Amino acid sequence: MFHVFKAFPNKINALWDVSIHIKKGEFVFLVGPTGAGKTTFLKLIYRGILPSKGQVIVDGVNLSRLKPSYVPFLRREIGVVFQDFKLLYNRSVFENVAFSLRVIGVKNAIIKKEVNEILNIIGLSHKKKTNPHLLSGGEQQKLCIARAVVSRPLILLTDEPTGNLDPETSWEIMKLLFKINIWGTTVIMASHDKLIVDKSQKRVIRLEQGKLVSDTMKGIYYKQ
Amino acid sequence: MIRNILFYIKEAFLSTKKNGIISLATIVCLTATLIIVGIFLIISLHINNFIANLESDLIAVAYLKDDLTQEEIGKLVQNTSSLEGVREVVYISKEEALQKLKEDLTEHEEILAGLPENPLPSSLEITVFEAGFLDEVSFQVNQFKGIEEVNYGGQLTKNLLIIFDFIRKTGLGIILILLFVSILIMFAVIKISVHSRQQEIEIMALVGATSWFIRWPFIIEGFLKGLLSSLISFFIIYKAYKFYLTQVKSLIPFISVNLEPDFILRIGITLLFLGVFIGIFGSMLSLRKISYEEL
Repeated sequence: MFHVFKAFPNKINALWDVSIHIKKGEFVFLVGPTGAGKTTFLKLIYRGILPSKGQVIVDGVNLSRLKPSYVPFLRREIGVVFQDFKLLYNRSVFENVAFSLRVIGVKNAIIKKEVNEILNIIGLSHKKKTNPHLLSGGEQQKLCIARAVVSRPLILLTDEPTGNLDPETSWEIMKLLFKINIWGTTVIMASHDKLIVDKSQKRVIRLEQGKLVSDTMKGIYYKQ
Repeated sequence: MIRNILFYIKEAFLSTKKNGIISLATIVCLTATLIIVGIFLIISLHINNFIANLESDLIAVAYLKDDLTQEEIGKLVQNTSSLEGVREVVYISKEEALQKLKEDLTEHEEILAGLPENPLPSSLEITVFEAGFLDEVSFQVNQFKGIEEVNYGGQLTKNLLIIFDFIRKTGLGIILILLFVSILIMFAVIKISVHSRQQEIEIMALVGATSWFIRWPFIIEGFLKGLLSSLISFFIIYKAYKFYLTQVKSLIPFISVNLEPDFILRIGITLLFLGVFIGIFGSMLSLRKISYEEL
């Protein structure tokens, strides 16, 4: 990101002159109080929104110049996990994960193999026929992660994935994210879970009122 | 490709099922509209048929005085033929006129038997191209020397044509309004359907489905609803028309109504085309833009 500004009609400085470079394969925490611009930051990366000023470059592609018809192909390289899950409650666990492969035209045989593999990794293979609303919060979050990474994206964006979970389950989710990071996926995680950020010893980018206030390797939640 | 099409169709059915009551209401509305359109089409085709028959009877008859020579008659035929709007002029002699009358009255020959001499005048049968020419042609011919009188069913024919033209135009207007309304209904229904599947659409857009991939299931949904409505409406119209025909035929045996396979097939194809068009066009309208923003 180079000198990125983002203004909304009801908020002038959602992001204010943010410049940052995240390398391939990194694990980055995005911290800051509510309204600091964390979600805006993530949306800019998957082109949910465009910057008001400045450039966002993902995998060598300048998103401001990306034609709308190419956006789907950018999205295939980026997995997104939301705090509110965004699961399809009229489909089974298996179908929820398979859905993200089906809509990009993957063959059935490959879908079956890939989905079973990822469900094994996250530990939900015994519940693949279950409806998501019968799962616990932690399991639903795992399912979201499975859906986001089943297509093996280059980047995984997670917005408060541990926001609604107890500490134990939260840490389980973190272990899963670390595992995904080790496979080579760049992980950017917005969080205000101080315990997890401090314990993880990863790069921490702190935003406050839309401005980048600190960027520390092996950082902790608060400014040092 | 086939895998994708199967996915679209499956999703379309899923969506129709999910919005069951609304889907049913759409199909009922669309079917009713198409039935009305179909009835107007049938009426309009019948009127066209009737007008074509009327127009083929656009004949004025000019009765000639008895004392004309062959030369004068020839000249009259020639002069009449050269008038604007005249298609054909046929000379009917006194003898031919009597012969024709005899043929018409075969069962009542005694009426003619008592006649001392042939009372019928010779005449010119003047066929014009359109009803509009009848007045002028009749007037002109009446001016010619040797013409006793000119007769034609002009005013009635003209009035009928005006009324039928009015009915046809009103019918077309009503059909256009109904089509507009049904496209709006389809538009609204697909909007509801899109809205009820907002979550799915968001996820599709998020994981990289192309905008056409997202649109297809809804377009197919519109297509299926249009297709089903047109089939139902055609079935109802076909049955009703057949029933109406047998009723009319038993009441007025000599009326010329036709249920040729070709005629009813034309109605069927029109309804099918309209139904599918409304379905697809309505869906497309509500899916003009799949947004990748603000997810």
